[in-house]
Amino acid sequence: MGFAEADLDGQVGRAFPGGTYTVSPWRAWLLADTVLAEPPSLRAGGDQVAHPLFAWMAATGAMGITWDELFAWFGATAADGPVFGEHETTLHRPLRVGASYRVSGGIVSAQRKVGRRTGAFDIVGYSMDLHEIASGAAPGAHVATCWNSIVFPRRDA
Amino acid sequence: MTTAAEVGTELPGYEVPSVSAEKMKTMAALLSDPTAIHWDVETLQALGMGDRPVNQGPLNMGYVMNAVTAWAGGPDRLRRLRVRFLGNVLAGHHLRVRATVTAVREEDGARLADCDVVLEVVDGGGGDGAAVVSGTATVVLS
Repeated sequence: MGFAEADLDGQVGRAFPGGTYTVSPWRAWLLADTVLAEPPSLRAGGDQVAHPLFAWMAATGAMGITWDELFAWFGATAADGPVFGEHETTLHRPLRVGASYRVSGGIVSAQRKVGRRTGAFDIVGYSMDLHEIASGAAPGAHVATCWNSIVFPRRDA
Repeated sequence: MTTAAEVGTELPGYEVPSVSAEKMKTMAALLSDPTAIHWDVETLQALGMGDRPVNQGPLNMGYVMNAVTAWAGGPDRLRRLRVRFLGNVLAGHHLRVRATVTAVREEDGARLADCDVVLEVVDGGGGDGAAVVSGTATVVLS
C-alpha cells in the first residue's frame, strides 16, 4: 500500500536525533581535493577555513539517521528512486578545520503534487542548523543553516 | 584588493575539463554513500544507465561554490547558495560554471554580491550544452 497523502502532514515537524560533526583535517583535505579546490595544509598551524561544502557534509552527516531511515519515514526506499530536488546553504560564519558542530533539525514541509508527465510525487523539505559546540572557539555560535528537498515518486498514488 | 562588481558583471569562467570517476570514489567513501551508480560500472549497466559513473550532486554544487568564492576572494566568502538539480553529470563530462552579478548591496556592514549561477555540460558525449545545476549565490566582497 502506498504512502497516503494524509500521512505527509504527520511527518512535518518531526525532529532528527541530531549529533555532532567534526571537520577533521584529513577529511577537510580529501573533500577539498575531491571537489577540485585547494586543500588546507596539514602542516600549517592556526585557523584554516574549511570548504563551504562542509555545511552540507556536516548537516547530513550528523542528522542522526541514515538515508534509508529518512526514506522510511515517508514509506519509501532507495529503490523507489528518491532524488535531490533543491538545496540551500546559508553560512553565518565559515566552518573551520578541526572544529566541531552540533547539528539539529527535522522535517519542515511535505506536499503531494501531480505532474502531467511525472505523475504523483511528494516534495519533502528538511532543514538542519549547525552550531559551534560549547567548548569551541565561539561557543554556541550559529554557523549555518542547510535546507534541502527530496522528491519521492509516487507511482502507485 | 577590492573586488570589482556591478549588476551585469560576469564572473571569470570556471571549468572542470573532465569529471573524474576516481574523485567520485573518494567522495562516496567520504559520504559513506553506498549508492553504486557513482562508482560501479556493472551496476550502471544492469540499470541501463550506460557505463559512465554519475557524479554526486554535492560535487556539482561544490564546483559552483569554487567558482563564486574564487572570484570573491576565498572559501570564507560564501554567504548563501541555493541550487536546483536539473540533470546528471557523468564521468568525462566537461563542465563550465557561469555566474552573473544581479545585485550589489550592503548588509550589516558587509558588501555583498548576489549572483545567478549555472553549471552546464560543455561537451563530453551526451547532454552537451545542458544546464545541470542552476540557482543563486551570495558572496561577501572584499
